[in-house]
Amino acid sequence: MGEEVEVQKICEGVTFRSIRDDRFKNMRLAVSFLTPMRKETAAANALLPPIMSRTSREYPDYTKMAEHLSELYGAGLSADVQKLGDMQVLSLRATGLADRYALEGEAVSLEYSKLLCSVIFDPLRDGEGKFPEDSFLQEQRQAVEMLDSERNDKRTYARQRCEEILCEGEPYGVNRAGSREDVLRLSREELVPAWESLLRSAQIEILALGCCDPQPVARLFREAFEKIPREPAEPFPTVRREARAEPKRVEEKMDVAQSKLVLGFRTGDVPEEEESAFRLMSVVLGGTPHSKLFLNVREKLSLCYYCSARFQLQKGILLVESGVETKNAGRAEQEILRQLDEVRAGHVTEEELAAAKLSLCNSLRTVEDYLGGMESWYLSQVFRGRILTPEEAAAAVSAVTCEQVAQAARKMKLDTVYCLAGKGEEA
Amino acid sequence: MKLEERKSARTGDSYFAGKHPSGLPIYLFPKPGSHSTYAIFGTRYGSVDTTFRRSDESAPCTVPPGIAHFLEHKLFESEDGDAFARYARTGASANAYTSFDSTCYLFSCTENVRESLEILLDFVQSPYFTEQTVQKEQGIIGQEIRMYDDDPQWRVLFNMLGAMYHNHPVKTDIAGTVESIAQITPEYLYRCYHTFYNLNNMALCVAGNIDPQMVVELADRMLKPSEPVTVERIFAPEPDSVLQSRVEQKLPVAAPLFQFGFKETAAGRVPSRKLAQTEVLLEVLASDASPLMRRLLDEGLVNEFSFDTEYFEGPGYACVIFSGESADPDRVAAEIKKEIARLRAEGISQAAFERAKKAVYGRNIVSLNSAENIANTMISLHFAGNELFGYLEEVAALTRGDVEARLREQMDPERSVLSVVSPIS
Repeated sequence: MGEEVEVQKICEGVTFRSIRDDRFKNMRLAVSFLTPMRKETAAANALLPPIMSRTSREYPDYTKMAEHLSELYGAGLSADVQKLGDMQVLSLRATGLADRYALEGEAVSLEYSKLLCSVIFDPLRDGEGKFPEDSFLQEQRQAVEMLDSERNDKRTYARQRCEEILCEGEPYGVNRAGSREDVLRLSREELVPAWESLLRSAQIEILALGCCDPQPVARLFREAFEKIPREPAEPFPTVRREARAEPKRVEEKMDVAQSKLVLGFRTGDVPEEEESAFRLMSVVLGGTPHSKLFLNVREKLSLCYYCSARFQLQKGILLVESGVETKNAGRAEQEILRQLDEVRAGHVTEEELAAAKLSLCNSLRTVEDYLGGMESWYLSQVFRGRILTPEEAAAAVSAVTCEQVAQAARKMKLDTVYCLAGKGEEA
Repeated sequence: MKLEERKSARTGDSYFAGKHPSGLPIYLFPKPGSHSTYAIFGTRYGSVDTTFRRSDESAPCTVPPGIAHFLEHKLFESEDGDAFARYARTGASANAYTSFDSTCYLFSCTENVRESLEILLDFVQSPYFTEQTVQKEQGIIGQEIRMYDDDPQWRVLFNMLGAMYHNHPVKTDIAGTVESIAQITPEYLYRCYHTFYNLNNMALCVAGNIDPQMVVELADRMLKPSEPVTVERIFAPEPDSVLQSRVEQKLPVAAPLFQFGFKETAAGRVPSRKLAQTEVLLEVLASDASPLMRRLLDEGLVNEFSFDTEYFEGPGYACVIFSGESADPDRVAAEIKKEIARLRAEGISQAAFERAKKAVYGRNIVSLNSAENIANTMISLHFAGNELFGYLEEVAALTRGDVEARLREQMDPERSVLSVVSPIS
């Protein structure tokens, strides 16, 4: 064990963190660009990682690149976009088998890092210096299809709609990949400038995890960034608004058998020393099959098929999601609020508190058994003054008292009630 | 009990396997340095097992569809509270699932491994059903079945299976139907429980931060010896043909979804070697590096986040499935058929074969990172009569000729079904 995080500053605003851990049979290298979430730039930014990871100068064709990755034992070059607080986070990532398993003993692992650097710092462009048109059109189409596809999963769709309404007019209210219309409106000309701007001014977090020697990898990035004129990242504090005086209610109809009810709460500002209490409160309320929401709203009253709480620490919001019969939506809402009042009043038994702690510590301690889990964890930590390991976070959770949980619950204010209602019945 | 150590020279890993005197096969895969432990206790009993014959009875027995899944729900509950409440005291994250061919109960934990394992072994061995609890569950499962009626991914699969199979129970929803679960009684539940939850028909796999000796001691204390009874699965004869080659349903989706499957003649389970051949074959045929994927993308027919392939096989059924979202599923199906015909005519190039084999090999090695993956894979391989490291060796030993031969026996265009779920308007 003993996963030590080694930190190196590559240059202004660029941090390299590595955890060498030879328990893993592979390595994972992720480069994340953190940039303010803005409606005007969201779609262009989100399209960059998938376009760039399609090809490189050496493998200037999608199929050639895929063939090369297969030859490297099914290595992966992947791209994604997410929101963390009011920041848009664009990630490019290489994963691949550790050298010791290569069938003919070939050294493959440094190759993944070189490949990732080549697509980031020297991406393929056409004669006019733009990203190739076929890559652009391909990824634009797929981005639109991805947005459409999210509508197919009604639970995700309802959650996204509630977030949009809750955070209307705020950076967090923008879809992580921009709106469908913004993606369709993009022109190829905008993309290279968007990329250059990210390389110059985004906060950049590099994570090298698993079975690999981080030093040569850090060297690659150091050399590459020497050629980039870095500017200090602009301060962009996350908006943490007070909840509306009266909750906003929105109901939308869809032809589905089961309705989805999502309650959006504001937690206000969460100081670092209160993070653990908020995390734990969310678990006590609706994070496990023995939480208050699950046991009462689902099991005891049979008002819904699922009922759970999801806490967004970086943004200071908490969503309670449930799947209900349309006619039960009103009663389910009342019961959810009643359970929250119980937590606010400190009506949490020792067993409930202990169970929530054990469950949360269990998930925190499991983080380090997965490279993907480690990547998400350490990325989420960059907003803190001091980075915590999952073990330190678990220790902090264990020390939280019932009163601290109640205090956290009392800071939560209901802001938005969203219902995706089945047709033909009134909520 | 005697544990045999099985080693893989290729990965440097090893695990222990043995049969407990109670009848239960046990697999233990310690992972030094792992924080978590993952345990899975399951029975070779899934939704397709509606007709069976016990070795101590002469006549076969047929029961209503949905009992395996119903039992899964009920076992979580016992006289002294449900299993979730008991796990709450250990911090384990627990779950259970019913598939076509097995029912499994599992947990993952970082502390209190012994206590969690004790809970698992206890509640799965303690059935408790009354008229009243069965009635309540009929309501809950009825709602679950209706929820799946809204799920386009679920519908597109079962519509395909319904069009592919004349008789095989794989075509019936895992949870059964509202009508079939209405017929379930405590007697049916006890009958199926005592038939399929015989330890000889089950397996326990534990991977991660474990001491094998501790698990064995716990097994000695907790396992109730089972009669040496075996159970035979019985299926009505299934014609080679499909019922319908195309099926479509309209649902509120933004874009059409499809599953395109090729039915195979299946007797028992498919051996490791053939599974490995199929995995490499599908990599050659439809990975990102394949000419097919290139064409589908260039034509705007599929997207990378949804397009997928699967070898769907179990007792008495097997089919290769291509799935995803597409504006034009019929053209996707036509392109897939065209590429299969081309590969059959022209053969697979050595370079394409080598690449695909390396990718499959790498993926299988990396899957040994996770205790969860290891334990899940070990139990499903056990139920299929296969073995963890043996599969990796089969992949490493494959030749191009093997894969070409496999191509000639799979994916017959005359036995394909295209299932589409399309938008309402």
